Amino acid sequence: MKQIEITYDDRISRQFIAASIIFGLVGMLVGVLAAAQLSFFQANLGTSFLSFGRIRPLHTNAVIFAFVGNMIFAGIYYSTQRLLKARMASDLLSQFHFWGWQAIILAAAITLPLGITQGKEYAELEWPIDLAIAIVWVAFAVNFFWTLARRREKQLYVAIWFYIATILTVALLHIVNNLSLPTSMTHSFPVFAGVQGALVQWWYGHNAVAFFLTTPVLGIMYYFLPKAAERPVYSYRLSLVHFWSLIFIYIWAGPHHLLYTALPDWAQSLGMLFSLMLWAPSWGGMLNGLLTLKGSWGKLRTDPVLKFFAAGVTFYGMATFEGPLLSIKSVNALAHYTDWIIGHVHAGALGWNGFMAAAMFYWMVPKLYGTKLYSRALADMHFWLGTFGIILYVVAMWVSGVTQGLMLKAVTASGALQYPSFLETLEAVKPFYMMRLIGGSFYVIGFVLMIYNLWKTVKSGAPVEARLTVTEPEAVAHVPAGRLVFSKPIAIIFVMLGLLLGFATRNHGHWVVYLVALAITCVVAYAWSPREGDYSWHRMLEGKAFLFSAFTLLAVLIGGIVEFVPALALKQAVPTENAQRPYSALELAGRNIYVREGCYTCHSQMVRSLVGDTARYGEASKPEEFIYDMPYQWGSKRTGPDLHRLGGRYPDLWHYQHMLDPRATSPGSNMPSYAFLKDAVLDTNALATNVRTMQALGVPYPAKAVLEAEAQARTDGERIAAGLKAQGADVAANSELTALIAYLQSLSSKEKANVSSGISRAE
Amino acid sequence: MSDHHDGIEEHDNHLPNWWLVTLFGSIVFSFAYWTYYETLGVGAAQAQELAGEEAALRALREKSAPPISDESLLALSKDQKVVASGETIFKTNCVACHGMRAEGSVGPNLTDAYWLHGGKPMQIHGVITKGVTEKGMLAWGNVLGDAKVRDVTAFVLSLKGTNVQGKPPQGEKDP
Ligand code: HEC
Ligand code: HEC
Repeated sequence: MKQIEITYDDRISRQFIAASIIFGLVGMLVGVLAAAQLSFFQANLGTSFLSFGRIRPLHTNAVIFAFVGNMIFAGIYYSTQRLLKARMASDLLSQFHFWGWQAIILAAAITLPLGITQGKEYAELEWPIDLAIAIVWVAFAVNFFWTLARRREKQLYVAIWFYIATILTVALLHIVNNLSLPTSMTHSFPVFAGVQGALVQWWYGHNAVAFFLTTPVLGIMYYFLPKAAERPVYSYRLSLVHFWSLIFIYIWAGPHHLLYTALPDWAQSLGMLFSLMLWAPSWGGMLNGLLTLKGSWGKLRTDPVLKFFAAGVTFYGMATFEGPLLSIKSVNALAHYTDWIIGHVHAGALGWNGFMAAAMFYWMVPKLYGTKLYSRALADMHFWLGTFGIILYVVAMWVSGVTQGLMLKAVTASGALQYPSFLETLEAVKPFYMMRLIGGSFYVIGFVLMIYNLWKTVKSGAPVEARLTVTEPEAVAHVPAGRLVFSKPIAIIFVMLGLLLGFATRNHGHWVVYLVALAITCVVAYAWSPREGDYSWHRMLEGKAFLFSAFTLLAVLIGGIVEFVPALALKQAVPTENAQRPYSALELAGRNIYVREGCYTCHSQMVRSLVGDTARYGEASKPEEFIYDMPYQWGSKRTGPDLHRLGGRYPDLWHYQHMLDPRATSPGSNMPSYAFLKDAVLDTNALATNVRTMQALGVPYPAKAVLEAEAQARTDGERIAAGLKAQGADVAANSELTALIAYLQSLSSKEKANVSSGISRAE
Repeated sequence: MSDHHDGIEEHDNHLPNWWLVTLFGSIVFSFAYWTYYETLGVGAAQAQELAGEEAALRALREKSAPPISDESLLALSKDQKVVASGETIFKTNCVACHGMRAEGSVGPNLTDAYWLHGGKPMQIHGVITKGVTEKGMLAWGNVLGDAKVRDVTAFVLSLKGTNVQGKPPQGEKDP
């Protein structure tokens, strides 16, 4: 038998770890800055580049894609090579992946503070960067699957399953959600508008959480946790069941971000129900992690690595219990748009991702440098500071979210809003904003201790070349793929899916038949299911990397397709013409400024179908009111009030004063000042391009609209400026502030209705 | 140590029963929920539910709304307690546009004898309730509720004749 020696490429993991740590610190510090701005509006230092609406996206993108992104790459490269007994297929591709990814992060760090954004959460980066992401991701995928093809270990371990799901699904999500039509190198309009835009965005947004922050980290857990604990994984069967149920169910749950909105009821129901069904699969991962640690509780007390793993997995369990809870419509009615959601994501981000990263780094760095961890005491201190920080953070956000949620919908005995002024509710939660700031800062201090500790560890060792001698595997009997495809499990799954779809189609008299047939299929499937220890079909599948990947892709595609197709068909059902008029050229320009400034990070544009919302903001929002909204701006957090029914609520002068200094009209407001907009000159060259691009996307502008865009915008701007001047406010007709005011005043369906096709503002 | 999976071994323990219960329980619940709300449509659709809630709120408002007239409002404007309550409401909600002393800024001066929409108590009450949204005066009926609108109207009425120096008169002189 032939012996071969493999040298693993661990340089790439060392690189990714360093990048993750550096960008992690930056991302967290930006988070602290954003938190500080909510308590002290002056903390943006008066510059537009550090304004809340621009740096909140910087914070989220940095933490998700730079900190966690680089961390999972480090873990994937390290574990994949060892689990497959093969060096990565191409060092060149690995290096391309690394440097490409860092270049993307750098581009994000430059463009986001400049306000170059697509205005969709976690998908803010503009199209040229999106293109780069796609290319780098494909390079990573090619390298990974090429390595899979050259593996020396036939059976794929569960960690690899999770990596496969990650790589395929992220590519799919990223490409579909970023489909857009550019107007310039730094701006584009997405192809999906309004309700469709929201649905696609949260299919993406929710699954970015699932397939970027969860599945790869679960894969990492399955490799590093048993390694560190030196214990066998608790249950293979559990990993199998929770893997497939997790990836299949996760993809459907996106609409739970859109409960009580203008999204059709059925899609909301799907979002809620699949979120509930997701509870058990998620906890499957937690159980397998925690029960693997069972038996090494003694070590847990002394080993910081295990401590971080145990706490990380526990936070995962907490967050994935809270998630389904928040998806229950009646809970969501209270919690959505409040700080509770911010608390929820941070239990996941700081607790699960941050602690899993720390555990992995503390375990891996000494190995990668052939040395021992510099200080256990420091790591312990990091652990306690971090835990304390998370608890402070999460509790503050719970209390703040519930308090503000209750206040906003409270009515008196006589049926009036108890707290009619939004500011009153803001005032009530301000102490918790401080508490969150303190909690977050504790967490960062812990993180800095880790950096120091790891730095000292690195200094005490030197990079190690990891080698392994293996016997070239013998050729094993070839299982034809056909036998796995045309098999009992697949047949049953397809029959079940067909019956399910039949059942779910409403207004169908035969639903009882479908239900009964489904029940019978379940019984048959149970009778046929493999007995104790007999997993031959799945074991065989684990030996076939590409078939496995194909099934994975299929599993994640189904949910997306079932939700999209009817929702896209909805477009035809919405009364497009007449009901709405498109934005005038000036309003559109103002809208682009709204998007650029990230107003959606504090403001929603969605009056939900809840009496608390309608009593405060006016009539509930309807789907047809958003057909020209590209990108849709429903938002996900109300630090300020909803703006969908804003048009005509205040005079232009009020907006003028409020935008220059929000405290002038609203004492105690934490909204940033936008005085810089007054002196910014509107880019009039872009007006025609914007209208033309919108036209290309199907917005029914009259033919002459493009030619007249500039003149029309000038007339509109002059009218607003003249009105303001008469009241003693001096602003140029071509100021960005004028355009923004025009947009804010257009935010109301009343005005848009009944104007057939003219594009100028109704007088 | 196993030669496979880089030495990681896997047990094959049973799935915990309580875990299976949550898994199948949520699936069964989902079927029931879907059947109830979507297939059979027994459960109220979102719009219906909202209409019901809004009707309940309206009923509450109507029930607690005391009948008002020019005379009753005028009488209230002499009631110190009501005026004090009205003043607090004014300070939180109205000063942004009408000024700290109701001398006017964005909105008109409310202390002079000139009115854009009439100076009769019920006319003032009407403007405050329904607003003049196209001119920037908000509709406060929904926001404040009838009791508070009544109090703040009484407060505005109590300002009559104070003639605070501020925004020049707008509208017609009240006879
Ligand atoms: C840090 C969060 C934050 C950001 C970012 C922000 N706002 Fe606000 N906004 C608030 C808060 C809080 C209020 C309520 C108090 C007030 O009126 O200032 C508010 C109020 C408003 C109001 C008044 C709404 C009403 O019905 O009374 C408007 C209009 C508004 N903001 C527009 C904008 C625009 C336009 C942008 C982007 C250029 C923006 N805001 C960015 C927090 C924010
Ligand atoms: C956003 C600014 C704004 C706020 C806040 C506001 N108003 Fe007004 N108000 C106006 C404007 C503007 C007008 C003038 C409307 C017009 O030109 O027809 C007005 C008109 C009025 C009038 C009619 C005056 C007349 O001459 O007929 C009354 C009475 C009034 N407001 C009372 C109130 C009260 C009471 C509140 C608080 C509950 C309030 N307003 C809050 C802007 C505001």
